[in-house]
Amino acid sequence: MTRTALRYLRLSLFLGGVGLHRLAAYRLDFVLGAGAFLVRVGIQTAVVGLVFRQVPAVGGWSYHEVLFLLGFSLLPRGLDHLFTDQLWELGRKLVQRGEFYRYLIRPVNPLFSLLSERFFHPDGLGELIVGAVLVFWAGSELGLDPTAAQWALAPLLVLCGALIHTAVKLFFASLSFWTVTSLPSMYAATQVSEFAAYPLDIYHSSLRALLTWVLPFAFTSYVPCVYLLTGDTGLLVWLPVVTAGAVLTALAVWRRGINRFDMTGS
Amino acid sequence: MSAVTRARRYLPFATGGLQSLLQYRSMFFVTGVTAAAGAAVTVFLWRAVYAGSPGAGPGGFTAAGITTYLLVAQVLQVLHANRVDDEVAAEVYRGDVAVMLVRPVSYPLVRFAACLPVVAANALLVGVPVLLLFSFLVPMTAPTAGNAALFALSTLLSVLIAFCVNLLTGMTGFLTTNTWGVRMLKQSVVAFFAGQLVPIALMPGPLAAVAMALPFRGMVDGPLTLLLGRYEGVAGALGVLAQQAGWAVALAALSAVLWRAATGRLEVLGG
Repeated sequence: MTRTALRYLRLSLFLGGVGLHRLAAYRLDFVLGAGAFLVRVGIQTAVVGLVFRQVPAVGGWSYHEVLFLLGFSLLPRGLDHLFTDQLWELGRKLVQRGEFYRYLIRPVNPLFSLLSERFFHPDGLGELIVGAVLVFWAGSELGLDPTAAQWALAPLLVLCGALIHTAVKLFFASLSFWTVTSLPSMYAATQVSEFAAYPLDIYHSSLRALLTWVLPFAFTSYVPCVYLLTGDTGLLVWLPVVTAGAVLTALAVWRRGINRFDMTGS
Repeated sequence: MSAVTRARRYLPFATGGLQSLLQYRSMFFVTGVTAAAGAAVTVFLWRAVYAGSPGAGPGGFTAAGITTYLLVAQVLQVLHANRVDDEVAAEVYRGDVAVMLVRPVSYPLVRFAACLPVVAANALLVGVPVLLLFSFLVPMTAPTAGNAALFALSTLLSVLIAFCVNLLTGMTGFLTTNTWGVRMLKQSVVAFFAGQLVPIALMPGPLAAVAMALPFRGMVDGPLTLLLGRYEGVAGALGVLAQQAGWAVALAALSAVLWRAATGRLEVLGG
């Protein structure tokens, strides 16, 4: 058991290193990607700033609270991005082009084999850094003084959020085993995750229900932030249940999918 | 050769564009979900701002007015998502563009012809349903017939500007392989400076001045100024249209020059 775990850890580090080498080959590309991402977050922050030029509070949230939420929403997203970006390739073309078989013939778990192809995706690192800066800056502006329990839970909240992001991505990517390509539905799901960057209170009730119980992105940012900002644990108790439910559902679909995968002949 | 014969050459590319579009019908669903989600974020965010002001709030918008603005802005964005940037970048990256260069047609015009059905289909199959969906959820304002006509004209010009912006974005494929980054950059910058996320009237002075001077203003804020009647007299309306037309011509000229320069230094590996 420990030996297996150690082997996977060693493989992850090695394959992650290989991925980082690729960066050195396309330096301008990396700078462009990182720059584009920074501009995107900068514009999101600017929009929030412009909204709060008009009013002191939106949906009961102050300027710095919304920025805290915006920053926090980047952390699980970044953590997920760091390890699972290869799922996009699965949804896009691996089944369509019949290339998926190569992950089935390696002597490691197929999911690990797939994900390890793009470990340590640098864009994820950017999200983590920018998110952390926003969270700490907004937190200090708010004079936030977290309790020991909140400090201890915070990393777990980020981890659970990342698992929810991964589960949703894995679920929609696995649909490609039936539909050949599932890129469109993956895009749509990602778009829905953008709602998580703003307080749930401003949305229509139907949208709130969707984000809490169907595509549970509320648990990646809104629910943890409400807890960290106010100590309210109303929805927080559901977080482990929702995370486990999402991950198990996604894994079940993934497993059924790889069992029915057929090579395309050539 | 007459202009009609010349234009007819591009007809197959337009019908071809339509056919390949109909192969991927699920794309419309996705574009619809994406547009509805994008609109919902901005609409609900700004409606929360206007919730406290019953009459005309910041920037002279009413709650229904700002809702209309942001929703139609999102629909315009769908019209502008003509996939020209993806396709040009991909064809340059793969080298397929070389095949186009040996044909007796202009590649930018081919792309323009091929994107027209995409724009029309997006308007009909995505724009209209999204507007309908939201009209059930939130109150909106109805424009006068005159303003609607001005808006229609202005929208046509905005489609031209968007084509040029996307063509120029796609042409960065000559310089970098990470056109994904460039496209993301373009999307963010355009959405912001076009006034899609925040109406330019609500930006602070210097920022608003920059946004008004950029070509992106003609993509969203310009048409919506006309739709909502936020202009002063005939001269005001003509001013908006003239600015759009000016940018459309300037960007088309810029695209033509850069295209010529880029194909001059293009190298494609044979195979």
